Amino acid sequence: MSAPADFDQGAFVRALLDPELPPPNGLETPRGFSPEKRFAVYRNNVCVGLVDALSERFPVCRQLVGEEFFQAMAHCYMREFLPRTPMLFEYGEGFATFVSQFEPARELPYLSDVARLEYALGQAYHAEDAAPLTIGSVRALPPDRLENATATLHPSTHVIASKYPIVSIWRQHMSDEEMTPLDLNRGEEALVVRPELEIRVSTLPAGGVVFVDALKERQTFGEAVDAASGATAAFDLTVCLRELLLAEAFVAISVAH
Amino acid sequence: MSDKKLCAAIAIAGAFATAVTLAETAKAAKAEQEKCFGVSLKGKNDCAAGPGTSCAGTSKTDYQGGAWKYVPKGTCTAIVTPKGKGSLEPLPN
Repeated sequence: MSAPADFDQGAFVRALLDPELPPPNGLETPRGFSPEKRFAVYRNNVCVGLVDALSERFPVCRQLVGEEFFQAMAHCYMREFLPRTPMLFEYGEGFATFVSQFEPARELPYLSDVARLEYALGQAYHAEDAAPLTIGSVRALPPDRLENATATLHPSTHVIASKYPIVSIWRQHMSDEEMTPLDLNRGEEALVVRPELEIRVSTLPAGGVVFVDALKERQTFGEAVDAASGATAAFDLTVCLRELLLAEAFVAISVAH
Repeated sequence: MSDKKLCAAIAIAGAFATAVTLAETAKAAKAEQEKCFGVSLKGKNDCAAGPGTSCAGTSKTDYQGGAWKYVPKGTCTAIVTPKGKGSLEPLPN
């Protein structure tokens, strides 16, 4: 199917998003069908498809605000941000930012960070595969060279720092665990990795996100520790490494020669 | 190598050694769990992702046969649901 030479995509999109507007010019419909009605069906399918995609992408956000609120919020987002690529799994990239500025959601200040976590899960799922480093091969590394070593993290690795307990909120809504009251003033740093087929979500100690970001920039372990300790005096390297090893976040660790 | 630098290198090597041991211990404990099919309530399954994929919390019905949960090892087939027993293999829905 090719568009006619005078096809105006801008006008088409405007008509798609605004039910008040007439259908775009030049629509051909089978005899007996009005272009208005046919275009309204198409408009509805596009909207429902995108809102449903957001709904599936952000299931915990949906639970946190309820179905009706989420649908309305997703609709507002969709009206403002259409997909920028044909890949539906990339849709919702700016949703967390949108949510943080969405006035009616003001009362749930953690909602936006939970959305960041949920988007990261989707990205991790679709990230490139890579074989994680085994714990045995980490054990075999020369201890005196680790300070100057650099790491290659799994391509699916995402970290999200929040002022709110986003991992606990997410986990409670995704599991059978009984809901327990959470201290909303206790921030959490999330680690998302998909070493094989399953996504792993864990909590890094304070400073962990700074540490991982430094490693991603190919800084040495020594430099990454300095950066994390600079951000949080209480940075616990042992706990941080344990979580990264358990999540199988390392693909390679290169020691300097 | 200055004293400070030496301390940092030793601290990092020590943290690695401890972390490796802790991770091995935790992994051994996790291995004692098994994947159990057909026992998960809808939306409560353990696998993970997004639209169009099999994913944590996306199973559409209670006790869906293709969805699984981690349960303590040895307990899966003893779990009885309104749809039958838990299974170590995926079940037809």
